[in-house]
Amino acid sequence: MNMSGLSFNALPPIDLPFRFFLTAPLFIIACSVYVIFYGDSLWLSRWTPGMLTLTHAFTLGFITMVMMGASLQLLPVIGGIGLKHPRFVASTSYLLHCIGTLCLLFAFNFTHEWWFSLAIVFLSVSFFIYIYALIDVLIKKLSQGDSIVGFRLAMACLIVVIVLGLVLISRNLDLASIGLGQVLSADKHFTNIHAVWGIAGWGSLLIIAVSFQVIPMFHVAPNFPVLIRKSLTWFVTLLLIIYLFSPSWSIPFLFRAHAIFAMCLLWVLSQRKRRITDTTIRYWQFAAIALLLSNILYFLPEAWLVNDSQSNSIVQRILQQKELILAATIVYGYLVSVIQGMLIKILPFLSYTHLQQRCLMDFSAMQLIPNMHDFFTKKQALILFVLHAVTSILLLVVIIDNQFFRLFAVSLMLEFSWLFFLLLKTALLYSQVNRKITLSSQS
Amino acid sequence: MTSIPDYMTSKHRECDDYFTEAESAVAKDNWSEAETKWQLFSDEFAQHLSQEEETLFPQFEQATGMTAGPTQVMRMEHQQMRALVQDMNNALEKKLKDEYLGLSETLMVMMQQHNMKEEMMLYPMMAQHLTNGEQLISSFEAS
Repeated sequence: MNMSGLSFNALPPIDLPFRFFLTAPLFIIACSVYVIFYGDSLWLSRWTPGMLTLTHAFTLGFITMVMMGASLQLLPVIGGIGLKHPRFVASTSYLLHCIGTLCLLFAFNFTHEWWFSLAIVFLSVSFFIYIYALIDVLIKKLSQGDSIVGFRLAMACLIVVIVLGLVLISRNLDLASIGLGQVLSADKHFTNIHAVWGIAGWGSLLIIAVSFQVIPMFHVAPNFPVLIRKSLTWFVTLLLIIYLFSPSWSIPFLFRAHAIFAMCLLWVLSQRKRRITDTTIRYWQFAAIALLLSNILYFLPEAWLVNDSQSNSIVQRILQQKELILAATIVYGYLVSVIQGMLIKILPFLSYTHLQQRCLMDFSAMQLIPNMHDFFTKKQALILFVLHAVTSILLLVVIIDNQFFRLFAVSLMLEFSWLFFLLLKTALLYSQVNRKITLSSQS
Repeated sequence: MTSIPDYMTSKHRECDDYFTEAESAVAKDNWSEAETKWQLFSDEFAQHLSQEEETLFPQFEQATGMTAGPTQVMRMEHQQMRALVQDMNNALEKKLKDEYLGLSETLMVMMQQHNMKEEMMLYPMMAQHLTNGEQLISSFEAS
């Protein structure tokens, strides 16, 4: 075994992941204002500029933003090796990602070609730097198996999603004038690949991989069954590859694979030894239930819902909007739930771990470090969960009946403002204590 | 014969069990149960740390020549965990529920990431470098 690459203290400086975490909710807060001003026509289909703005604010502005920040921190923990030049990689990709995402969101609304051009330039450079740095670590022989495999597969999916996304937005540019012509035909199949690989590949594979590691660790639960740990991420990847050629065959299996994951997740959580109330557990359970509900909606024969005597307008609307409801349940109910649940667990954890690492050499400074509940209380975390649950329900309501868009937007704003407040509170307490430790070591 | 990773990992799980039982008891205000479980945890915890610091780490350092590497970091983290255990002792004595639960969340997280480093990296490295690993574990089991 090569020990030279192993580092017990490869954590990158905390301000690097923190900047990703602190910025992510701001995209959604801005989005909630946008939803109010856009009006109810946003919800008509997945192709309205408003819906494209909303989905990309969530996927790029929130989900990917947090995942990029978290990966910086997760790799040293689950792989034992940190990135080379973490400050350069994180700062540059962060800045370019923020600008690129904003340009893309503007591009959907003000269809000037140069907004698309700017989005392509900033996002491609940002992702190139970030992915290159991560691949440099991921190709090495790392210390641990199952999670790292999932991590690698998620990263491969991200590359596909980005390349396809960039090609798709390039259709808005006049490439014929520079002799390139249209790279992809305006086929819905390519947009579907982009969306499905983004959600089930990049988003879900990373979550599945991370869950194998963090659920036993934080909640003193048993490991996921070996078969699941060894095969689920590969199975999902295989289904995504099949999706390229035969979407109608692959999609039902992708749903089933996620139902299996959800049931395993609920089983592992039910077996946890640590029974103390914990909001992160509620988030995981909520996410698993959202996956199971999406399965029910997907597999429920439509004939059961529509029959002459019982069919009513709500059922009709659910069927009309089935695609959007499924996407909302999976993205908001599953991906966003897990990410929020993880954020409220890892923020105090990271803050504590970084402060504790500073005290390795100055043991007396340990007394200055707050305990985990001092960063934010259990009650404050619970409030976030309640706001998230309410917003999730309102999201389904607004998809079915568009007139409730203002109510949804307000709930969304409250939820993400509260999340931002908790993140800011943690970061401020961290820097305050950090200063005290510096003073203590100088004296 | 039990290997170093198997035995030491099973001891981590045993500590986790006592720790979570004590924590649940405090959450339910069952202080006598909490004290019993906490005592079991403290004893296991102290024994585990001393087996590492007095036997396994020195042997590993001798076998690999790595005296300022992972074992050094582990020793420092042990000191920090001992300090938290002491704080929890005080909270338990004074029956300060919130204080205890805040500290237990902290120690839990610290123990888990510490255990992960040992289980993923240090113990496999020990198994590879210490030819007398199984004998050492037999002596632990006998004590």
